[in-house]
Amino acid sequence: MNAMPKLEVPRFTFWRGVLLVILALGTYATVIRFFKGLAASTNLTDAFPWGIWIGFDVLCGVALAAGGFTISATVYIFNLEKFRPIVRPAILTAFLGYCLVVVALMFDLGRPWNIWHPLVMWNPHSVMFEVGWCVTLYTTVLALEFSPIVLERFKMTKTLHVMHFIMPLLVVLGVLLSTLHQSSLGSFYLIVPTKLHALWYSPLIPLYFFLTALTLGCAMTIVESFLSHRAFGKQLEMELLVPLGRVALLILSLTAVIRFADFRHRGILGLPFQATYESRLWLAEMLIGVLAPGILLAIPKVRKHTTGLFLAALLIVMGVIMNRMNVSITGMERSSGQIYVPALTEIAITLSVVGVGFLIFALAVKFLPVFPDQEMKEARPIVIPEGGNLVGQPLRSLPVPALVVVALAFFGAVALGADGVRRREVAPGPPAPTAARPALAAALTSFQPTDVVFPKAPDSPGPVTFSHSRHVDATAPDCVSCHGDGTSFLGRKEAAPAGLMHDAKHCGGCHDGTSAFAIDADCSPCHKAE
Amino acid sequence: MKPQTKGLLLDTTRCIGCGACALACKERNKLPKTSDDVLKDELSDRTYSVVKQVGSRYVRRMCMHCVTPSCASACPVAAFEKTAAGPVIYHESKCMGCRYCMIACPFGIPKYEWEKKAPLVRKCDLCADRLAQGLKTGCSTACPTGATTFGDRDALVAEARERFRANPGRYNEHVYGVEEVGGTSVLLISDGKAEELGYPAGLDGTAPAFLTWRVLNIIPDIVMTGAVLLGGIYWIRNRRDEVEAAEGSHHETPKEH
Repeated sequence: MNAMPKLEVPRFTFWRGVLLVILALGTYATVIRFFKGLAASTNLTDAFPWGIWIGFDVLCGVALAAGGFTISATVYIFNLEKFRPIVRPAILTAFLGYCLVVVALMFDLGRPWNIWHPLVMWNPHSVMFEVGWCVTLYTTVLALEFSPIVLERFKMTKTLHVMHFIMPLLVVLGVLLSTLHQSSLGSFYLIVPTKLHALWYSPLIPLYFFLTALTLGCAMTIVESFLSHRAFGKQLEMELLVPLGRVALLILSLTAVIRFADFRHRGILGLPFQATYESRLWLAEMLIGVLAPGILLAIPKVRKHTTGLFLAALLIVMGVIMNRMNVSITGMERSSGQIYVPALTEIAITLSVVGVGFLIFALAVKFLPVFPDQEMKEARPIVIPEGGNLVGQPLRSLPVPALVVVALAFFGAVALGADGVRRREVAPGPPAPTAARPALAAALTSFQPTDVVFPKAPDSPGPVTFSHSRHVDATAPDCVSCHGDGTSFLGRKEAAPAGLMHDAKHCGGCHDGTSAFAIDADCSPCHKAE
Repeated sequence: MKPQTKGLLLDTTRCIGCGACALACKERNKLPKTSDDVLKDELSDRTYSVVKQVGSRYVRRMCMHCVTPSCASACPVAAFEKTAAGPVIYHESKCMGCRYCMIACPFGIPKYEWEKKAPLVRKCDLCADRLAQGLKTGCSTACPTGATTFGDRDALVAEARERFRANPGRYNEHVYGVEEVGGTSVLLISDGKAEELGYPAGLDGTAPAFLTWRVLNIIPDIVMTGAVLLGGIYWIRNRRDEVEAAEGSHHETPKEH
């Protein structure tokens, strides 16, 4: 373990500047959110109540943290020891991811101070209840899985020993909890068969969410390794990452086959090729997230190429993000009758959450033993050739077909997305009112106005019986002219205060001597003596 | 279980669009006026019942009080409850504001207080307090034409069929809400199709909540099978290492299996 690095004033770099701007905007948006409320800080509406804070921050956030359970299962349960060097960064990322998901949720919940309610107010019929419990438990498990890193740092050997002993149990628990809630995020949408577009709604949506999370777990580990390699100068362990790429390809293909069978079974094989907003975005998702990375990973030469592997993994990550956004936003728009575009404040919060994640990760790597030290560095260093790009081997050394696939996927997805957005439309509402008033003949046969007796007040000459049939034109009844402005529909229990009924809001409104006879000295027309 | 609960029968052929139901609803719930024209009002956190002119008909929209409500199934804190009397009521002190009820509702009924700093979900509660006092709902009390009729749900279904029988050719003879989403306590009859009147299409006889429960029900099985499977893999994979280590060192005999 190295001595703690000396604290120094950080250098000002481009990315640090970007982070600073994002965090400043995020702070502003946070103030708006908590002092002005959701209406001022979001474009959410009654018709579209879940936006990017759920679609991206929660759904993508949890999925992107899937590397944690994928890698810890690989090492601890499948006992593939060679993957041990990447367990810690994967667990750290997952732990951070879940903490940030909870933070983002605090922004989205209308009453964030009640976030603990599902722990005591149970509804076992609710997927959200199950997810709440799973995420709480799994975040605890992740904290425990992460704890050896902190314990090592502070040399707490005894506790460390206990942690090593119970680690397999924690990992089994963690994998089970992850499996449950990764799929349950998909199960959220089982209850909306008439609202979520058929391209994404499927009885198998929990399975899709789980399988894509697994694929993403592999892809994220690859991407994170490359980014750590770039940012912190860590060794690239290609002999670990290439097999992960192979596993990702396997699950990707399996998911594709299941999806094809599912579409065939539901008779919607033609649906993706219609010229609609949803179909275009579905195709873009498949192109970016399944087809292109599938082809790249299937070519051994590309898979073993550092840049090739990185690009394939990056495409998978983008594909899963697109999938979650399509499920939560694209697929829900048509039925909502509304187009949702996030507010700038929503985007600022989302970017800040991501930014804070990067910041804490960087700090953790700096001050905690996250990456393995000496002995791993000696094992098979990858030599970055001269002129290498950010992730190692230069792009131009990739086979030409691979470059073509990447370019086609990228431009294809952009073109499909743009064309889709151009075609965006919402479901037609019910027919507009016709100019003419509907024929009332049928309705009026059942017009049944009743008499209302107003009880006698102490100083009143007698009770008043109001006859609806004498006051209402049965051929064109207009209830609102009397009831709309003060006169109760539901009736009073006790007599009205003296003179109230005589005023202009009540009987006096018409009984003014012009429209109808005036209320004057003679009480008898209305007040009947008892 | 047969729902012996209170409900409403809405009959568009009797509705004259006077707006009494919507205004009575405002009165009972002490809600502010939200539109100068009662027929132009929209459902919101301050309007729980509207009557709209659709083509040549007047159509009410309000909470349908489903027999198996999606909102109550979705809510993680059980803030929604289908009471034995019929109304789906909301326990606001439980709500944490996740708005999953709004996503889940097939009729798009729950509305949110977006403007407030401590927002709550708002919707019709079928005048649960009035029902408890033996009164009818506000809207059915105010309705002058019998376009909104209050009663036992079973009796209302019978009443609807009686109206079909007594008025041949007047109705599209389907009681919307008997089958849809597993049944609703608010029923609709009309001379047109409910789907053409702005009601959601494609609802079958399965309560959407069951689609979720079917999956939630197998979770205990997944947990147990998964635990045994993962534990077993762990045992086998690590046992192999132990054996290899033991054989390699020749110092201790392998432990029993």
